[in-house]
Amino acid sequence: MSDEELAKDLGPLAALTIGVGTMIGAGIFVLPGVAVAEAGPLAAGAFVLGGAIALLTALSASELGTAMPKSGGAYYYINHALGPLFGSIAGWANWLGLAFASAFYMFGFGQYVTQFAPVPSVLGLGPAKVVALAGAALFIGINYVGAKETGKLQNIIVITLVAILGVFTFVGALSANLETLRPFAPYGTDPLLPVTGLIFVSYLGFVQITSVAEEIKDPGRNLPRAVIGSVLIVTTIYALVLLVVLAAVDNSVVANNDTAVVDVARILLGPVGAVALLFGGLLATASSANASILASSRINFAMGRDKIVTPQLNEIHPRFGTPYRSIALTGAFILAFIVFGNLELLSSTGSALHLVIYGLLNIALIVMRVADPEDYNPDYTIPFYPVLPIVGAIISFALVVFIAELAVVLTVVLSGFAVAWYLFYARGKTEKQGILGQYILSRREEMPEPAVSAASSVQPDGGKYRVMVPLANPESEKDLITLASAVAKQRSGTVVAVNIVQVPDQTALSAARDQGDHEAAQRILEQARKDAETFGVPVETHTILSHRTFEEVFDAARTYEADTTVMGWGPDSHGSPGRAESAIDELAHDLPCDFLVLRDRGFDASNVLVPTAGGPDSDLSAAIAKILRDEYDARITLLHVSDDKQEGMAFLESWAADRDLADANLVVDTGDVESSIERHADNSSMLIIGATERGLLSRLVSGTLVLDIVDDVDCSVLLAEKKRERSLKERLLGSN
Amino acid sequence: MVRALFESPLVPVANEDDAVSTCEAALPHVADAAGRMLVVHVVEKAGGAPDKASVEQREEMADELFDIVRERAAEAGVDVETRVLYGTDVGETILDAAREEDASAIVFTPREGKKWWDIFGHDARDTLVDDSDRPVVVLPGAAE
Repeated sequence: MSDEELAKDLGPLAALTIGVGTMIGAGIFVLPGVAVAEAGPLAAGAFVLGGAIALLTALSASELGTAMPKSGGAYYYINHALGPLFGSIAGWANWLGLAFASAFYMFGFGQYVTQFAPVPSVLGLGPAKVVALAGAALFIGINYVGAKETGKLQNIIVITLVAILGVFTFVGALSANLETLRPFAPYGTDPLLPVTGLIFVSYLGFVQITSVAEEIKDPGRNLPRAVIGSVLIVTTIYALVLLVVLAAVDNSVVANNDTAVVDVARILLGPVGAVALLFGGLLATASSANASILASSRINFAMGRDKIVTPQLNEIHPRFGTPYRSIALTGAFILAFIVFGNLELLSSTGSALHLVIYGLLNIALIVMRVADPEDYNPDYTIPFYPVLPIVGAIISFALVVFIAELAVVLTVVLSGFAVAWYLFYARGKTEKQGILGQYILSRREEMPEPAVSAASSVQPDGGKYRVMVPLANPESEKDLITLASAVAKQRSGTVVAVNIVQVPDQTALSAARDQGDHEAAQRILEQARKDAETFGVPVETHTILSHRTFEEVFDAARTYEADTTVMGWGPDSHGSPGRAESAIDELAHDLPCDFLVLRDRGFDASNVLVPTAGGPDSDLSAAIAKILRDEYDARITLLHVSDDKQEGMAFLESWAADRDLADANLVVDTGDVESSIERHADNSSMLIIGATERGLLSRLVSGTLVLDIVDDVDCSVLLAEKKRERSLKERLLGSN
Repeated sequence: MVRALFESPLVPVANEDDAVSTCEAALPHVADAAGRMLVVHVVEKAGGAPDKASVEQREEMADELFDIVRERAAEAGVDVETRVLYGTDVGETILDAAREEDASAIVFTPREGKKWWDIFGHDARDTLVDDSDRPVVVLPGAAE
């Protein structure tokens, strides 16, 4: 079997049971009592209506799922299509919605347990809540340590449940009396929509299938079947069971009965029936909660990958292999919701948050269809486009209105929080732009002005690439800025020019600032700004007063969040470092960003020579060479020194192809590396050398490593060293 | 001639600490034998049920582990190949890969003594030691 097949091991039945198992708990076992109390037999109609609304979104989710079988499901599609602002809303709504739903399932679980076990109230919390808390803690714990066996149980649980409910429905139908179904709508049709809103929590499961889409075998076929199939199956089961129950016994047995099906089963089937349905209720609520907790960690992962939340939330436990932080935090939410919520609040908030997601999901589908990006190729397409997704979006948002007021308020507050979260936290971190934003901004001319300005004002800016240039002397300023601007331009980034003014140790920094010693600095920065602007890249300038200069470069790179630092190095740039060698070694061992160090002999990127032996730092050389090629049409020569010419050429060809440099001139040489480089450098205007050894930069600048090449060649030399952050442990223990 | 143990060993790594200590322990031996090593990380699958963590998430983690390994191997001058494996039984998956690649040995470091078992799941170590058709080398990890 291929790795692909091994990684995707969820068959059609497993995918279906995720959906059915997550959904079936609530509708049958917890909600009939409340629903019938409010709507009478019409409650069955509410379940059918809820199923129909869910089906509309299930169709959209299927199309999006087959186009993008990625971890994170609904959140991923919305973030991808509508951008991170809506992604933030969808992510938080999906995450917290699942936590609310899990709390609700556990509450139902508590009601079933207290049917047969005398549980005392603890600290003012009723027995059902006590059991709910204990149960939630148990399932959070199971997911925290990650027992893979629980996943397999899901199939058995779902099949058992369907069997129990099948027998129950069959026997019930035998003793059904249609008379008890009349009047079908004793309170009129007014309660229909509010009850649909209330019971909608019974239809959250199908979207969780999409959150594990990456694990489903042949998703193009199995994902739509599982998503749509699970909605159809549970809708049928809900409606049939409820009709049979109401036809078999008097409405009063069901209304406001927390465990109505158990009592009905006792009447119809005797104690065996009661035990079976009690057992079913426990299984169903437990499997719903368990599946929801698992799904929420997938959503966290997808959010963390897009940096909507900190990726640290998704750290995998070294021993258990589980996303333990995510599970623990979700667990804390669930426990809090159980303590502070009640059955109706939990279910209606879970419903309302998911309805927001469903509405956005339908809009996401429309956006994908309109923008039609090249890589959008769903295997399954929704019928009656665009009618169904439009209707789906409108109905999903409209149904929110009919949900209990407090839940709506909570949903609005949480959505507002998610927007604020994006604007104040995630916007500076996330890099992903939505298809919608790209679509609008790429058609500035045709789009209405407000849409363009709205789209551009909420764009993520975490992706801004920042190129810092510490400037020391005016002579090399222009060349450094030229290089930095080329890098910034190719990466759509910003040039950050800094001038580090060395202040003698005896002068206080504040005094130096007052003295205006840095007028010269202003001049060089002004020139830098002008030069950068000729390349059309945004530029910002900073003056730093410091007692140290060389060391300050590293601090500044951190302070200004540089992705690359371009600096000069020569007889008089940045002077000689004023510290003991070991201190600089310590500093440069821990590069905060990529460094490009230019030994400037005139900037001329017409003929660029890149020697490579592979390795991460020559990746950086390759990237820079590519930038110079794209910006200046530089002719690139790749040089590899090998004992075996043929082998060397094979290596170089694949190396170049992997780095999009296939059009470069490839040279394989034998013999001494340095003399070979020197020979070829004669015909080049610039030589780019990747630091093949860690700490090359530090040793170069502190003079302990004399690279003969750098001095022996006549062209400019660019040394490239990649970012390297040591872990805290390495830093404390020292690295080797 | 008897094949050198460290000529082309298969080296499983479970997590970041394990990757570091395994590299520290194994690389000098492999370098000494002028060998090359295949470093693997097993993504444990539930086999027909949702996994405990997203597969994409664990593939990302594997990439991080492999970065550590590649960097250290480059410093030690050892050729290294990395591969993500998928399987429901971690021990069996490692053994299968070792057989398929005809590894000269399976090399790992036990961390924190007895607790090692639960890094790879319950019986991965036993499986490796009991069922392997090729040498299994347990190297002492870094002293903690």
